[in-house]
Amino acid sequence: MKSRKSNWRIRVLFGACLVLPSFMVHAQTLEVELVIREHLFYPSELSVPAGQKIKLIVINEDATPEEFESYELNREKVIMGRTRGIVFIGPLKPGEYPFFGEFNIKTAQGKIIAQ
Amino acid sequence: MTSAVIIILREVLEAMLLICTLMASARAVGLHIRWMPFAIVVGISGAFSYALFLSEISSSFDGFGQEIVNSALLITVTICLVVHNFVAIRINGIGRSTHLVRLSIAVMCTAIAMAMTREGAEMYLYVYAYGVLAGETLSVLSGAVIGAGIGLSLGTFVYYGLRSLSPRVCLFTCAGVVAVVGASMVSQATLYLSQADILQMQAPVWDTSNIVSESSLLGELLHASIGYEASPTLTQLMLYLVTVTAGIAAVIAALWLNSSKEAE
Repeated sequence: MKSRKSNWRIRVLFGACLVLPSFMVHAQTLEVELVIREHLFYPSELSVPAGQKIKLIVINEDATPEEFESYELNREKVIMGRTRGIVFIGPLKPGEYPFFGEFNIKTAQGKIIAQ
Repeated sequence: MTSAVIIILREVLEAMLLICTLMASARAVGLHIRWMPFAIVVGISGAFSYALFLSEISSSFDGFGQEIVNSALLITVTICLVVHNFVAIRINGIGRSTHLVRLSIAVMCTAIAMAMTREGAEMYLYVYAYGVLAGETLSVLSGAVIGAGIGLSLGTFVYYGLRSLSPRVCLFTCAGVVAVVGASMVSQATLYLSQADILQMQAPVWDTSNIVSESSLLGELLHASIGYEASPTLTQLMLYLVTVTAGIAAVIAALWLNSSKEAE
């Protein structure tokens, strides 16, 4: 009976060892915000560290939907009016990665600079 | 108006290639295409529903509902396409047995309706928000009509081009196109899954954007036809090759079954 109890403790400890690092990794993911206002991106140039996974939060303050799109980042996501959407990007090599709003391609332009 | 033309054309092109190839393939094995309007109506209804519930869908699955639904649609279409290849070659070899014809029509309808759902939802959102709501109905709608018109013309060109071949050559060409279209859909699905951090993110294997940029006309055409990506990841490339192989393997398996039947 006693051995079964200690067995249980070892399992919890083992489980914690597995689970905790994953939380720590999760906490390390850098979050960056990008705002869409009147069909423009703010900021239009976004500096991020290279070689790291980034959680890009696109906040659409307009009432109209927009599609966040980037050929260089291989990303596309429709962000409905007055909502936000998450797009994971990276790890990126140093360089520039243009993105645009497909529905307002003339104005909604920006780039991510990985360094 | 020009942006409307481009946005709609981009969406229509991919769907048209799939629809026209499946139509040509059906006709090559002597199947009727009376099911087509049904598949299109289901596709349009699907697109409306997807667009209307996009906010709810997007916020589901921890904010990755869109990626999950899109990749599920893409993968289902691909499975239908691989099954289509097998069934079409079987029908060509052993004749139009009722259950093969039913299966063939079912997979073609599902593929077309699901592909239209995904592409159509985006078109509807754009036209409704930037045309109807913004009071620019005429300019956006005329742009959309022109874009769709160009897409339809290219589709008609593809259909009659394929139909001008002998039925057997047409069938095998369609099977090849279908395998490549499926592979490009799987490749897109992997991007959605990595965007949602469900699939491990990877660095691209190569970058050919300075040779053919994805934003150029050629890049767009290559993307719509063979799923061209300037900077693909290893997973994307592997799954692309696996899907093309599956599409061809389905053809070979059907040919082998056909020949063993003949031998009896």
